Amino acid sequence: MTADPETLLSRRPRRKDVPLPEKPPPAYAELAASSNFSFLRGASNARDLVLTALLLGQSGIGIADRNTLAGVVRAWSALKEVREEGEPPPEKMREGGSPGEHVWIEHPLSADLSVTRENLKQRAEAFQLVVGARLVFSDGTPDILAYPEDRAGWGRLCRLLTLGNTRIPPGKIRAVKGECLLTIGDLLSDASGLLLILMPPRRLAGMALALSRIRAAAPGAVWLGAVLSRRGDDERRLAKLKVHGADAGVPLIAINDVLYHDAGQRDLQDVMSCIREGVTIETAGRLLEANAERHLKPPREMARLFRNAPDAIAETQLFLGRIDFDLGQLKYEYPDEPVPPGWTDQGYLDDRTWLHAGMRYPDGIPRKVEELLKAELDFIQSENLARYFLTLYDIVRVARNKGILCQGRGSAANSAVCYVLGITSVDPDKFDVLFARFMSTERKEPPDIDVDFEHERREEVIQYIYERYGRHRAGIAATVIHYRPRSAMREVGKAMGLTEDVTARLAGLVWGSWGGALADSQIRQAGFDPGNSEIRRAVTLAGRLLGSPRHLSQHVGGFVLARHRLDEMVPIGVAAMDERTFIEWDKDDIDALGLMKVDILALGMLTCIRKALDLVCHHGGPKLGLADVPLEDPAVYDMLCKGDSLGVFQVESRAQMNMLPRLRPREFYDLVIEVAIVRPGPIQGDMVHPYLRRRNGEKVTYPSPAPEHGPPDELHQVLRKTLGVPLFQEQAMRLAMVAAKFTGGQANGLRRAMATFRNVGTIHKFEELMVEGMTARGYDREFAARCFEQIKGFGSYGFPESHAAAFAQLVYVSSWIKLHHPAAFACALLNSQPMGFYAPAQIVRDAQEHDVEARAVDVNSSCWDNTLERRADGSLALRLGFRQIDGLGEAELQRLIDRRGVGYGGVDALAAQSRLSGRALRKLADADAFRSVGLDRREALWAVRRLPDDDPLPLFAAADAAELGHEPEMDLPAMPLPEHVAADYQTARLSLKAHPMSVLRPGFQGQRIATCAEMAAMRDGAWARTAGLVLVRQRPGNGKAIFITLEDETGIANIIMWARVFEQHRREAMGARLLLVEGRVQKSPEGVLHLMGVRLHDRSSELERMLDGSIAQGPATRADHPRNVRLMPKSRDFH
Amino acid sequence: MTDVNSTTLRRWLAVWLPFLPADALRRLARERGEAGEKPDEALLVLTHKVKGAARVAAMGPAAAAAGVTAGAALADVRARLPDIVVADHDPFADARMLERLADDCERFSPVVAIDAPDGLVLDITGCAHLFGGEARLLAELRGRFRRYGFHARMTIAGAPDAARALARFGRIAIVPVGADEAETRLLPVAALGLPDDIRIALVRAGLKTLDDLASRPSLPLSARFGEDVARRLRRMFGQGANPVTPRRIAPSCIAERRFPEPVGRIEDIEATLADLMAELSDTLMQRREGGRRFEASFFRADGIVRRIAIETGQPTRDAKAVLRLYHERLEALADPVDPGFGFDVIRFAATETEPHAPAQASLDGRVQEEGDVADLVDRLSARFGRTRVLRFVGVDTHDPDRAARLAPAVEHRGDAPWPAPEPEEPPKRPLQLFASPQPVEVTAEVPDGPPRTFRWRRVEHRVMRWEGPERIAPEWWRDPSAPTRDYFRIEDEHGRRFWLFRAGLYERETDAPRWYVHGLFP
Repeated sequence: MTADPETLLSRRPRRKDVPLPEKPPPAYAELAASSNFSFLRGASNARDLVLTALLLGQSGIGIADRNTLAGVVRAWSALKEVREEGEPPPEKMREGGSPGEHVWIEHPLSADLSVTRENLKQRAEAFQLVVGARLVFSDGTPDILAYPEDRAGWGRLCRLLTLGNTRIPPGKIRAVKGECLLTIGDLLSDASGLLLILMPPRRLAGMALALSRIRAAAPGAVWLGAVLSRRGDDERRLAKLKVHGADAGVPLIAINDVLYHDAGQRDLQDVMSCIREGVTIETAGRLLEANAERHLKPPREMARLFRNAPDAIAETQLFLGRIDFDLGQLKYEYPDEPVPPGWTDQGYLDDRTWLHAGMRYPDGIPRKVEELLKAELDFIQSENLARYFLTLYDIVRVARNKGILCQGRGSAANSAVCYVLGITSVDPDKFDVLFARFMSTERKEPPDIDVDFEHERREEVIQYIYERYGRHRAGIAATVIHYRPRSAMREVGKAMGLTEDVTARLAGLVWGSWGGALADSQIRQAGFDPGNSEIRRAVTLAGRLLGSPRHLSQHVGGFVLARHRLDEMVPIGVAAMDERTFIEWDKDDIDALGLMKVDILALGMLTCIRKALDLVCHHGGPKLGLADVPLEDPAVYDMLCKGDSLGVFQVESRAQMNMLPRLRPREFYDLVIEVAIVRPGPIQGDMVHPYLRRRNGEKVTYPSPAPEHGPPDELHQVLRKTLGVPLFQEQAMRLAMVAAKFTGGQANGLRRAMATFRNVGTIHKFEELMVEGMTARGYDREFAARCFEQIKGFGSYGFPESHAAAFAQLVYVSSWIKLHHPAAFACALLNSQPMGFYAPAQIVRDAQEHDVEARAVDVNSSCWDNTLERRADGSLALRLGFRQIDGLGEAELQRLIDRRGVGYGGVDALAAQSRLSGRALRKLADADAFRSVGLDRREALWAVRRLPDDDPLPLFAAADAAELGHEPEMDLPAMPLPEHVAADYQTARLSLKAHPMSVLRPGFQGQRIATCAEMAAMRDGAWARTAGLVLVRQRPGNGKAIFITLEDETGIANIIMWARVFEQHRREAMGARLLLVEGRVQKSPEGVLHLMGVRLHDRSSELERMLDGSIAQGPATRADHPRNVRLMPKSRDFH
Repeated sequence: MTDVNSTTLRRWLAVWLPFLPADALRRLARERGEAGEKPDEALLVLTHKVKGAARVAAMGPAAAAAGVTAGAALADVRARLPDIVVADHDPFADARMLERLADDCERFSPVVAIDAPDGLVLDITGCAHLFGGEARLLAELRGRFRRYGFHARMTIAGAPDAARALARFGRIAIVPVGADEAETRLLPVAALGLPDDIRIALVRAGLKTLDDLASRPSLPLSARFGEDVARRLRRMFGQGANPVTPRRIAPSCIAERRFPEPVGRIEDIEATLADLMAELSDTLMQRREGGRRFEASFFRADGIVRRIAIETGQPTRDAKAVLRLYHERLEALADPVDPGFGFDVIRFAATETEPHAPAQASLDGRVQEEGDVADLVDRLSARFGRTRVLRFVGVDTHDPDRAARLAPAVEHRGDAPWPAPEPEEPPKRPLQLFASPQPVEVTAEVPDGPPRTFRWRRVEHRVMRWEGPERIAPEWWRDPSAPTRDYFRIEDEHGRRFWLFRAGLYERETDAPRWYVHGLFP
């Protein structure tokens, strides 16, 4: 499909019988266009609507969604882009017949619409976009389109919608997310600045009253909408509307009440209606529209329809003329709070900066830093950004005062100013900061800084912000939840009446590979005939639904703060959770309008680091903050080079652990690369190996263009730090601009295509642009293709250098703690769960391997959290806490701890003093926590079970005690070790007594099964059999290989399997908890070892035998037998 | 407490259907004539929704052998076994199937209990000899279940609980008289059917078999694990109350006939009923009782059981009268008892009896007929077949061709409201619609104007008044190529009113739209 708009738009043959030029039709603008933000009603996006109206020759368009303004910025941006670029934005191209296929949208009437670029630009200049909302009332009033006349009217509309969004429905205790409850009274109480169009209901009786009431409240600003919807009685209805209008003194205005830009969208709109109403297409009946007339029509067609009411057409132009509001008028202003009275913004920032710089560098500010600070402050002053930095400073300072760790990242975060203000911890004296790049970028945009806070305490920061700025001035950005392949396929399948099973299979196909075409072969693979029209149709429709907004949700933490009322800038809604309020615009909208957003994010590792540092301090160590950890400690890098990184931030995954010994990080910037390199972008672009080769001594060369096209070193600047290999997102972007000569607009388009799912289709257009552009300038085609592959990889998980740098700081800090304070590190990790990659069993085991003694949970020693205990030799031991035991409650256990005194002497005393419930006592006994009173698990359970079940009334307590008299001897057998281990895993998901594999080892030894340690000692290419618990299953990237991690009592074994082997052994590979693998050992020169799996055996039944000993099992056919006893914790799996 | 008789004399047969849901699904599919894969090869998995996620509720034997367990998430199972065949689990269908199987088992013993959700218990005390001993009875029952396509495990023992437990956990088919306790002692504690937490607690205490429990003092056990443990243990050994509740009270008054060759002709059936009724009549007479309710059970060779019951206003034992009522019933039914391959057992019972002195009684129990249409419809439908008595029902659609359909008059479901004109507005659609629209020649305005004149059945009509168009797009999911229709209400110079439409939108869909008349207004 070619991308030249001129040929595309003129491609349709002209009609044979073109009449002689007629006089131009009267101007018309559609004022009731619903975009797909009228969820499950509008079937076209705002861009398509604006563009189609433009191409059809309408003089303007009014976008009005149901009780929301969520979609209007998109329309505004689209028009802006056409005005600037003179060509339809790339989003004009969208998903075609099947997911991944893309077509240019053609209008059936586009035969008349051959438009040149200049022509289009001119039209776009004259074209008027008006934005408003379709007010749908909960009191039965007919719908009213409300368009703000001016900025004040916009504020009024925003506050009206905010009121509706936050209204509490009768019988509820709080507002319902996504529900806007409005009454006509809300509107009429103050309709100033709003132009209102009443949409006549199907039955006109009774409308007169509403009309006169509205007219009285907003004299001169009310119209009566006339829609000729081809329902048989158009003329009769038009006549009646004329009478109504004349009676009320309200002009009639022509409208087509548009739901989609093109008649071809009718089927999709029908499917949306089915989804909305929860019916199938077969049963939907008259819930659907009778015809396909609700699309944008050319002015000539509208004039013909309204030939009996030409005034109504003319009225649309008068209406447009009344409106003097454009979204560009929304002027953003930073809030005042962060600047104390009497200061100027910049003055206060300068003051704070130098004050804190002095504190950061008590021995004098280094020269380098001083110069950086000066340059940055100058830049901030010239861009008028002081208040932005002060706002962040204010938030970070409050967090710090509360003892909450935080770390900033983003393009502007890696600056000296941010370092001294405490927003980030990357010391500009030691490392090159990246702010210079931000300062040098030509695009004017607000700085982007995300701040991560401890995940357990972020809410405190959020509530502080609400408190300080007020809910009318602070709101979280929205996130638009789009239809993804699975959700689209599932809902379309349901609407099309496919059975759940068929739908699930189809959804499973697209799953994980959106963007890729759903080929016939895939459909066949799912067991369907691609020729089957029902299946084909459902798949096609799902592909078209893909990317439509589904609902609004709150962004993870992007705050918009305003100087004046935020609710007069954008409607605010309530979130489903936590007292949050959020605005109706998402990140892109906020960017487009130039509002400031501060991202307040949550990061588990910060919680862990803070807890670890607290523990270090509490047990006699120094008091440290993020920036206080000693820098560039070679021992830390030694540890990382060995791949000893379990629990360390970002580099603890299998792939990272393998990369560490190959990359051999020796300094901070190496960590920045380490974080960035094991990601879809560099991997898909095949940049990892070239980089590693160069690091290991291969000559560094830079790709260059043909001499006639530019200097051979044009990429030096871009790729210098990464040895000539692009690794970071911004490098890929720079490549597009420098090497493929992208224009600013194209680069923006690429950025957007890369960033957002919705534009996944458009990226192919850029592929051609970039690869051809680079090739034409003499670059190697293969290199160009790889660069683009990388960009596609960034699409899902983009990773700029500034983020990598901020993360690298946390990598370093967590590694340092792990190395120097292993007990505190393990303890903090356990207390911050759930987070990270590994289960408690592996964390404890790793600590043990680093010479940390782990002590079992005990009623007389444990606290709720895991704690550290001083050993006789002065080192620290890890005492597991009650939180490790499943099913216990913190409050109840705290009672046990509070009343412990010098310790409990026995079960009876403990029960009497702590008043624990019988259930909790049994849980503790089952977790073997009574060893300190001399009872093992079985004995403790026996004793605890005899206690009365529930807290007895005090009166009967004594009587109970008397009743517990002598009992006959029961002669219970002692509990053997395997059962203990199995029970440990069942209660706490780990055992300090033994590894399950060591218990099973005697049985395995006879079968020539090597331990993981033994296998590590084998030579490259040796045949090996090994068995272990399955910890992780992964199927990364392209899915050609499957990774499984096994664990036994000696260590970990990494299994790789080709997809072919995996398919042969799928049952074992996906189902086994205990897996036996046969294959060949592969050793890399760096000492990284894998077992290339060839044959797999599921030995999970051995684990079950541990539990029940030698008891004869039921018959083999028994379905619900011990397999459902979940003995081992579930592994982390892919699907 | 101990009832010596019950342990020594009574015999119980327990059936366990480990794959009832899967087997039932296949059986029903076969009965509908849908040939499935070989039952034991397909990886059949039945799912239900738990908190929105599909989870495995039951599975077929092949899936079980491949390691599928109840409660697993369907997504997990599919990741391991992409070839599974998934169906919704319908516990009600299972329950109905279990009832059917229980019906069939009544040919072996009138006392059959449902052991929900997946078992049956039969009191076969004194029944075995009819079949040539317990082993033969068991073999015949096994054969029947196999033929129906059900996996079944069964055990005969002296106590129902022992038979149940051994069918599920044991390996013995017939427990010799008096050996219940010895056999069951070897079973794991799971055989007691205790709640999971108690079962796990017993295992944790090292008490893994019933023997471990039975050989220890019971007082400390009860103190820790509840009375239920001891109670169940006693029942297992045949001591204590018999917990089986038969699904129907065995009628005291029964007559039955077994046929070496199944019978199917209606004459044979009626003759057999007459014989059996004579027997019943004698028995009732001896007891000085009359029946208020009679039930004939027809056991089909393939396991289906038909029952036809009649009730009388007064107790009776008048064979002729009862048979006449039966005759009417059989006559009225289009397909009275559907003998299939024939019945091998017919049983006739008086299921409700009352003391009945031999006295005069009116047998004219006919119900006064009500002049209700519904009644008439019911009776006409019953006599002529439900598909012979039809009425129009509205269909919820814009498409005028499909807006009405004929449905059996006895069905009342699925009526969509008829499209009604707005109040004070004329009807937009005619009452009389042609079965298929008739082509007309028209001169009309392009692109979507009304007709000026049209010629229909060789008569030229001049359009005097018109309204429209009412544009009705085709139902794209049915026939994507069908043209859009523009309907006009037309009045010609004689005041006759027509419903005309243009098929195909000018220029958008066709260059030469065709016209049709679809109906006439009164």
